[in-house]
Amino acid sequence: MKWLSANRRKVWTLAIALAFVAVGAIYADLQIGYYAPTNLGASSQPAPVVNQSNDAYKIAAFPLYKTTLVPGPGRQDVESYCNTCHTPSYVTMQPPLPAATWKAEVDKMGKTYGAQIPTESQASILNYLDSHYTPETRKH
Amino acid sequence: MEKDLSHSSRRTLLKILGAGAGAFAAKRLFPLRAYAQQTPGPPKRLPSFTGPGANPYWNSVGQIASFPQKAPLILLTDRPVQLETPRHYFLNAITPNDAFFVRWHLETIPNEVDLSTWRLRVEGNVNKPLGLSFPDLLRKFKPVTAAAVDQCSGNSRSRFEPRVVGGQWGNGAMGCAQWTGVHFREILDMAGVKSGSVQVQLQGLERGKGPKGMPSYEFKKSLDLKDSVLDEAIIAYSMNGEPLPMLNGFPARLVVPGYFATYWVKSLEAIRVLDKPDDNFWMNPAYRVPDTPRGETTPADVAAKKVKMIPITRMPVRSFIVSPDGDTKIPAGLPLTIRGIAFSGYGRVTKVEFSDAARGAWRVAQLGEDLGPYAFRTWQIQWTPEKPRKYQLAVRATDEKGNVQPDEGVWNPGGYLWNKIERQEVTVGVAQ
Repeated sequence: MKWLSANRRKVWTLAIALAFVAVGAIYADLQIGYYAPTNLGASSQPAPVVNQSNDAYKIAAFPLYKTTLVPGPGRQDVESYCNTCHTPSYVTMQPPLPAATWKAEVDKMGKTYGAQIPTESQASILNYLDSHYTPETRKH
Repeated sequence: MEKDLSHSSRRTLLKILGAGAGAFAAKRLFPLRAYAQQTPGPPKRLPSFTGPGANPYWNSVGQIASFPQKAPLILLTDRPVQLETPRHYFLNAITPNDAFFVRWHLETIPNEVDLSTWRLRVEGNVNKPLGLSFPDLLRKFKPVTAAAVDQCSGNSRSRFEPRVVGGQWGNGAMGCAQWTGVHFREILDMAGVKSGSVQVQLQGLERGKGPKGMPSYEFKKSLDLKDSVLDEAIIAYSMNGEPLPMLNGFPARLVVPGYFATYWVKSLEAIRVLDKPDDNFWMNPAYRVPDTPRGETTPADVAAKKVKMIPITRMPVRSFIVSPDGDTKIPAGLPLTIRGIAFSGYGRVTKVEFSDAARGAWRVAQLGEDLGPYAFRTWQIQWTPEKPRKYQLAVRATDEKGNVQPDEGVWNPGGYLWNKIERQEVTVGVAQ
C-alpha cells in the first residue's frame, strides 16, 4: 500500500496504457487469418504448346467465352445477326446508351458495314437493346 | 476528498481493465467464432460495366482472360480479339510481349502463318512489284531497331463525357517495345515508286465476315507518301528481341513512331502504292478527328454537321502515375517513390511534374533512361505524405515541342486523343 501511494503516478500511467491496449483490442477488431470463399475463374492454365520444326507457325484457338447477354425477347436476334461479325461483348462492353444511339448503331451495322438484317429483326434487336442496355434499363 | 475520488476512479479503471483483459483473453484464447460472421461475402469485384458517367478506374473493367502467347490480360471483346494491358506493367519503359495490348477490327485473324507461302507484296503504282519472303526481310536489308509507343487511337475512350460508342478502353491500350525490322522507305525504293503516286496503303491478313467491298470484309490504312513519318517507319519482324506474338501481328507489322496504332497494320501482306488518295471506310470516315487545336468539338456541332474532320495522326503528350495505385493504404510519414511513365508522339518528353494537391504547386520529377523520342520514359519522385488524409496526386508531362498536358478532357465522336492530366487518389493513414 505504501509502495502504491509512493508510485502513484507510475501506476496510473501503466494502468491507462493497459486500458488503451485492452479497449483497442476489443474495438479495433483486427483481422487476421481472414478468408472469404470465392469461385475460381473458368479458365485453367493453358498447356505448353508443342511446336514442329516446319514452316507453319501456329498457336492454339482463341478462347471464345459464353454470351453474357441478359435473357429477354429479342436476344436470339442479337445472337444470330450481330454475332455474325462479332461477339455480344461488343454490346455488353458499352456504357448504357440512349435509345437513339442504339438506333444509330444498328443502322450503321446495316448501312455502313453491310450486315443483312431483316427489318422486323432490326426492330426486335432495337427493342431488346432499349429494354436492357439504356441508362434507364441497364442492370447488368 | 482527493483520496476518495482517486480511489473510486481507480476502481472504475480496474473494472475497465478487467473487462478489457477478459475480452482480449477471450479473443486470443478462444478465437472460434461462427464462420459466417467472419465472412460477409466474397471479395468485392469491379462492376461489369461503367456509365453513363466516365469510367472511374485506371483500366477498363473487363474480366481477366488468357489468350495464346499472352499473360492474363483484361478482356474487352473475344471475337475479334481486344485485350487491355493491366496498369502494373507500365512500371517499366518496355512492355513485355505477352502483356502487350491487342486490338483487331475483324474476326478472321491468323492462328497460323505458313512462312513457305507468306509473302509481303509490294504492288500498285511501282516499277517492280515485289514478293518479299521472311528471309528476304532478314537478309536483304540492314536491320534497324527503334523503341516506340504503340497506342490505340481510342485509348482511355471510357473517360469521355458524354460517353461515346466503341471499345471502352481504360488507359491500357498502349505499350512500348523495341521494334526491329526494315526501313519502310528502303522497301519502297526497292520496288521503285512511280511518279504521280500519292499514298501508300497497308493491308494485313485480317478479314471479316462482311460482304466484299464493305469495311466489315477488310481493313486497310494509308499514309501520304510525302509524310515525313514514313522516314522513320519500320516493317518490324521482331519485338523486344522475340518474334511478334500472333495477336500482335506475326510475322511482320508496320511501326509508325509517333503515330497512333491505327496505321501500325499487323500481319502485313500488302504494301500498295496508290495514285489517288485512299477513301476506304477505315480512312474516311473512320479514325478521323475534328480539325481543331486539340481535336475538340461538341455533340451539338457534330449533329449540326459543322465539324471538319481530318485523319488522326500523332499522339498528344501523356503521363501516368503507375505506383502507388491507390489500393495500398500508406502510413503517414513513410517516404514513397512515386513512379510512372510519360510519352509524346511529337518527340521527347522533356519534363514531368508531380503535384499532391488538386491545385497545388508542381515539382519536377526525375526522368529515367531515354530510349528514344517516341518511347515510354519512366519518371520517379520522392514524396512523403505528412498527414493522415486523402491526397490527390497528379502528373503532367511536357514534350520537346513545348506541348503540355491540359487539365481539361477532350470530346470528339470517335473517342480519340484523350490526354488530360491523370490523377490518383491515395489514402494516408495514422501511424503513431
